[in-house]
Amino acid sequence: MQKKLPHICPSCSSELNVQSLICSNCETTVSGEFGLPLLARFTIEEQTFIIDFVKSSGSLKVMAQKLNLSYPSVRNILDDIIIKIENNEKSINNSK
Amino acid sequence: MKKWLFNPFIYVAGWQALGLGLLLMAITCVVAFFSKTHFDGVIDVHFGAGFPFLVCVFEQLNAWLFTVIVFLAASFILSKSRIRLIDIGGTLALSRTPMIFPAIAGFIPLLHQVPSIKNAAGFLLGSLLLILFTIWMVALMYNAFTVSSNLKGSKAIWGFIVSIILAEAISKIVISQLYHHFLF
Repeated sequence: MQKKLPHICPSCSSELNVQSLICSNCETTVSGEFGLPLLARFTIEEQTFIIDFVKSSGSLKVMAQKLNLSYPSVRNILDDIIIKIENNEKSINNSK
Repeated sequence: MKKWLFNPFIYVAGWQALGLGLLLMAITCVVAFFSKTHFDGVIDVHFGAGFPFLVCVFEQLNAWLFTVIVFLAASFILSKSRIRLIDIGGTLALSRTPMIFPAIAGFIPLLHQVPSIKNAAGFLLGSLLLILFTIWMVALMYNAFTVSSNLKGSKAIWGFIVSIILAEAISKIVISQLYHHFLF
């Protein structure tokens, strides 16, 4: 089973932060409060899209062929991700 | 299946949609010429007298072209995405596919008659079928608009309603001028 990284608080719907990190080799634990990187705030599907988009050198045509979708459909997915990135950046800047 | 019937533009757009759409429009045009069916506006279907073939071609182009122009303008005004003319033109051409069925229905003599008590049931059934195909086309046009311009929610709905009314009005004015020029 693939675990999903939760990034939204189930109680108040705010962004979650990381409290501890563990080394899977020596089990050393690092504690503190760390913000999640921008990419980790996306869903698995959106992360896969971003990675595939970078791998296809940013070509929407290649992405459309790969996903069996039309060009505007792929462009719309990308545009929605861009809006999400901008909103996330705004919320990160506001919380600083 | 439902997606292919009402929103094939998720999978097909651009040149592919334009080629297929124009081919189906050409077939509709030939069938409409022989069945004396007329598309005298963006969402209009009427049965009547036989017109010259060139007029049938103009009817198709008029219905498609003015939708493309108005929808393109609306997309540029309302959307923040990069709009391509080929996507609007292609998806809207493919949206007119359901009109092939009213063109075929035009071969039924009953639909060319003046409605009376004698043929009321058949006429009503025929009219209902035509309305269904028109609704199907309008649903396709809405999805063509939203996919091509990446509009959602109330922006998409109001943008579409205003655009289709405007396109219908313009196409009606142009087609009446064309009829006047070619037929009278």
